[in-house]
Amino acid sequence: MIWMTWRQFRTPALATGALLLVLLGGLALTWSEVTELATQTGYTGCQGDACRAAGEAFLQALQRGWASEFHIAAIGALYLLPALVGIFWGAPLVARELESGTYRMVFSQSVSRGRWLLVKLAAGCGAAALGAGLLSLVLTEWAQPIDGASADRMNPLVFAARGIVPIGYATLAFVVGVATGLLLRRTLAAMAVTLLVVISLQIAAPFVVRPWLAQPVTTVSPLQFDGDYGISMSPDTGRMTVHFEPDRRGDWIVSSTTITSTGAEFNGPADMTQCGPRASGGREACQSWLGKQNLSLKVSYVPGSKFWDLQWREFGVLFALTVALSLFSLWWVRRRLV
Amino acid sequence: MTSALIADALTKRYGRRSALKDCTLDIPAGHVVGLVGPNGAGKSTLLQLACGLLDPTAGRIEVLGARPVSGSPRVGFVAQDTPVYAGLTVADHLRMGAHLNPSWDAVLAERRIAQVGLDPAQKAGKLSGGQRAQLALTVAAAKRPHLLLLDEPVAALDPLARRNFLQGLMELTAEQGMSIVMSSHLVADLERVCDHLIVLVASRVRVAGDVDDLLATHHRLVGRRRDTADLGAGRALVEQSHTEVQSTLVVRSTAPIVDPSWQVDRLDLEDIVLAYMSGATGDGPDRVLEGQR
Repeated sequence: MIWMTWRQFRTPALATGALLLVLLGGLALTWSEVTELATQTGYTGCQGDACRAAGEAFLQALQRGWASEFHIAAIGALYLLPALVGIFWGAPLVARELESGTYRMVFSQSVSRGRWLLVKLAAGCGAAALGAGLLSLVLTEWAQPIDGASADRMNPLVFAARGIVPIGYATLAFVVGVATGLLLRRTLAAMAVTLLVVISLQIAAPFVVRPWLAQPVTTVSPLQFDGDYGISMSPDTGRMTVHFEPDRRGDWIVSSTTITSTGAEFNGPADMTQCGPRASGGREACQSWLGKQNLSLKVSYVPGSKFWDLQWREFGVLFALTVALSLFSLWWVRRRLV
Repeated sequence: MTSALIADALTKRYGRRSALKDCTLDIPAGHVVGLVGPNGAGKSTLLQLACGLLDPTAGRIEVLGARPVSGSPRVGFVAQDTPVYAGLTVADHLRMGAHLNPSWDAVLAERRIAQVGLDPAQKAGKLSGGQRAQLALTVAAAKRPHLLLLDEPVAALDPLARRNFLQGLMELTAEQGMSIVMSSHLVADLERVCDHLIVLVASRVRVAGDVDDLLATHHRLVGRRRDTADLGAGRALVEQSHTEVQSTLVVRSTAPIVDPSWQVDRLDLEDIVLAYMSGATGDGPDRVLEGQR
């Protein structure tokens, strides 16, 4: 069964492997560029407050070379990989056998259906985990100075392209492909549905699943009108919202709202004589009026120190889903198929 | 006599549609059995139930004394249209058989491939229908099953490829001594290789018996038009047709018919099968669709 699995799987596996090798090669070639720039700009080995400025200089310097392009390409590849694995590895795995009738040939050999699918699932999941894991871990290592300087690895977009989470997405996408192929029995339909499911999963994760997994910390602090803030208001109704960017470097800001003393979100009404286009006092008058409104900033955030904790949690959920879908597929192929 | 396959009130339904309904039969082991019947009689469904590809909705089926499961080393199956892996070469198919079957007979497989003139390096997708059928038969036979099931293996082949395939099948039975059940709606194909015949119409066995017996006991009687109510003991009417002056009967009788008022003729196998198939058309409402999905 292992030979058969390899014989049928080798073309897509080698094609994906070649793509991964190109990316890994790119990362390897730019490795020294990143470390050298980090040293040249003084970011490596910096102390205390100097780090922020050195980090900025390092990121600036990085923009000029190939490294930043490869960084974006590798992040993009880690987002694309689950969809590719689901569509080209997972969906045809069973669907093509059902479509071409060859399942009748392979099920007539001396190998049970359960074992047939189990070996294929194991091989596919293993290859997906290996590919995604290799790229992700190399990228995580490669981007360590960048993540340190930008303090951005909790950013939802970056988070899913670091550490072990990509392994979870790749294996889950593979099993989603297999299961939809098994249920729909048509390769093309299974590919389309798999793509849809994988993309929705990738969109739903940062908005719904991850905040729930991370259990963000919520703080409320009186507003200090000294940093940057944005005001939007409608001059007709006086409706007004104030938006603050909380200074939480390295943390993931899940939400940030301006609230009144009652705890409700502040949305005016504004004093039209102090704020807005018809007010005479300008920005200072409006700011001092706002300052008297007893406003607070409610911030819900996940501390950057919980990075690996959250990585393991998200990976755990994805892994559990992968196992559940695999068991379902195994049950279906034995009991329900044809 | 041991049984290769026993079915008891076997039923397979897809939703409301029955592909096989209340089928009861007993196929003896050690024979080359032809399963013949019109399209939609349930032959294909019966064979797929027998190799464990399908699960029965109701009733019981036993193959070589056990409930069939797919992946059994004792039962081989060549599916309708003889599917093969288009992207794999002929040699890959043999390698697959060797890897997936503990009882694989590599010598037999390679000899057969050479005999039928298949190029081992050729992709199976590029084979002709006849070559594909030969490849599928080789893979199924080299597994050395005790029972080999073939589902209309020659239906799509041209006459020459059909003869080559049946020739190969006969050589296999002579060498290996395995039981074979082969379905077809063409009697001429079965006549060449089968020594036992089952006529299945609308899930019912119309007649079953050794080919020699069937040939010896069936007669066509032609004579003056008359009532057919009493044919005498030991005789069964299979089919009748009448004109103004003349009656033509197909009769099964163990004893020879000596009656000067009848002109008695021998029947060939195709006549016998056709007589049973047309004699059964009275069960019209029971006709079922072929169990293909």
